[in-house]
Amino acid sequence: MSGPIVLGFETSCDETGVAVIEGLVERSSVLASQVEEHARFGGVVPEVAARAHVEAIRPLTHQAITLAGIHPNDIDAVAVTRGPGLTGSLMVGFSFAKSFAYALGKPLYGVDHMEGHLFAPRLSFEAYEPPAVVILASGGHSQIVHVKAWGEYEVLGGTIDDAAGEAFDKLARFMGLGFPGGPAIDRDSDGGDPDAIRFPRALRDRPYDFSFSGLKTSVVTYLEKARDNDELPARSDVSASIQEAIVDVLVEKTFNAVESTGVEVVGGGGGVLANRRLRERLAEEADRRGVGLFIPEPGLCTDNGAMIASVAVHRIEGGVPGDEFGGDVDPGLRLNP
Amino acid sequence: MKILAIDTATPASSVAIGDDDAVRGLSVNVDRRGHVKFLVPAIDFCLSQAGWNSRDIELVAVDVGPGPYTGLRSGIATAQAFAAAIGAPMATVSSLTTIALRAATGHRRIWPVVDMRRGQIAVAPFTPLPGGVAPDGDPEVVRPEDFKAMLEAEAVESLVVGDWQSVPDSTWTGLQNVKRGMPRYPSAETILEIAAMKARHGKTLGPEDVRPTYMRDPDVQINWKAFRSEGAWPQ
Ligand SMILES: [Zn+2]
Repeated sequence: MSGPIVLGFETSCDETGVAVIEGLVERSSVLASQVEEHARFGGVVPEVAARAHVEAIRPLTHQAITLAGIHPNDIDAVAVTRGPGLTGSLMVGFSFAKSFAYALGKPLYGVDHMEGHLFAPRLSFEAYEPPAVVILASGGHSQIVHVKAWGEYEVLGGTIDDAAGEAFDKLARFMGLGFPGGPAIDRDSDGGDPDAIRFPRALRDRPYDFSFSGLKTSVVTYLEKARDNDELPARSDVSASIQEAIVDVLVEKTFNAVESTGVEVVGGGGGVLANRRLRERLAEEADRRGVGLFIPEPGLCTDNGAMIASVAVHRIEGGVPGDEFGGDVDPGLRLNP
Repeated sequence: MKILAIDTATPASSVAIGDDDAVRGLSVNVDRRGHVKFLVPAIDFCLSQAGWNSRDIELVAVDVGPGPYTGLRSGIATAQAFAAAIGAPMATVSSLTTIALRAATGHRRIWPVVDMRRGQIAVAPFTPLPGGVAPDGDPEVVRPEDFKAMLEAEAVESLVVGDWQSVPDSTWTGLQNVKRGMPRYPSAETILEIAAMKARHGKTLGPEDVRPTYMRDPDVQINWKAFRSEGAWPQ
């Protein structure tokens, strides 16, 4: 196994990720998570995030290169997220990566963060190839993408209000479970009954779109009423029921897309895909329908530098030259706009 | 010593390349949002003017502010990455010192101003010396009316330089013994000069020790005030 050695940077939100991959083999992948910094505010604060990226990026680069067992001169190319994301955060990674590539005399590849998520399963599974349907769900995005071929994407649907991860965060906060909400609710639902409370599943009539604001309102109303009547159920039952409502919708819409496109490959990415119940339900459904499911390990679902580098590897192997050094970040970047 | 200097502390960004004797390449661009696009092509242009390549650089100098953070951080990240890639040491320079040094003539106490946005400016006093300036107090982030009061309290004649055009005209009315002058922005050319001096005194540092001068805590807004942080269940 070999291929180009690519150094990848990801700084679009609250994780600084730097990785070295060779072909599709990860040689190192390091991360500075800002969970603790943001936990006290209950969400990601852009200025806090940008400050943390500037602190972390240089030492992480050193660590990624050292762990990979290479010298900077061995790098064939540098890849970096250029959007979508928080402007101040993107600018730190993009400026750093661009200058690092230029000073080394190597090509630079600016990558769409979402395309990085679409590629990530390739780092775990050789059989993962388009055509595929990919569910992307995190704190910042929730969409279902039809990957017709690499570089050819159709966004079939997405959230019309909160992203799935955002819904988890807000609900966990209301339940007093802390930030980030996804892992907190996942843990808290252990031993809980997912059918204890039937929270609404929104937008049943729109095959690929999500909405989580109704769920939020319904949980808040339910809890306030239960508390006023002194009838609060076991917290784990509420957590499991909330989780089930979100998971139900994500699974249903994903397989709506599988059915209408006729693909036999299903992928997933984004922090919400680390949720154990979602992984279990997607696996059951894929099994039942006899389609291949390719959800990488949680560390490749959440934001990381390796997924960004893997997009560049594909471009290099396809003979695509590096970007001009006069480029800029694009916080509003969209897959195949 | 071959030096690369980068400044992005204000709406002007600049890159300069030179050695102890002379500036060999200089590029300046005034665009509040243009720092990221400008920097690397400007470095490339300056290196080609000098006939050097990136690995010839022996010291990377950068303005660490104070200044609006987004631009400042792109300059610092660019400088750090360049130094890290070629294994060069770094030197840091304050935006206020850079502006004051360029203004250093005469006898007046020099007050450089950097626009920090949201109605605030960064200022600091400097005393002119033969061939330079000496800091004469700590930098502060203040409102224009506070700065006016500071100048009114001065016993000596003052020279205000830097981005004084960013504050309301009323700041200057009725002030005695205060002149306003150039330059408006720092320049990488001056950073080159300061960095060469710092290197001669062994005042260099590794890229890991370079960080922005913030002088202000991040704004924090919690968007979902309606949610109760204590949760529904009694603790
Ligand atoms: Zn993401």
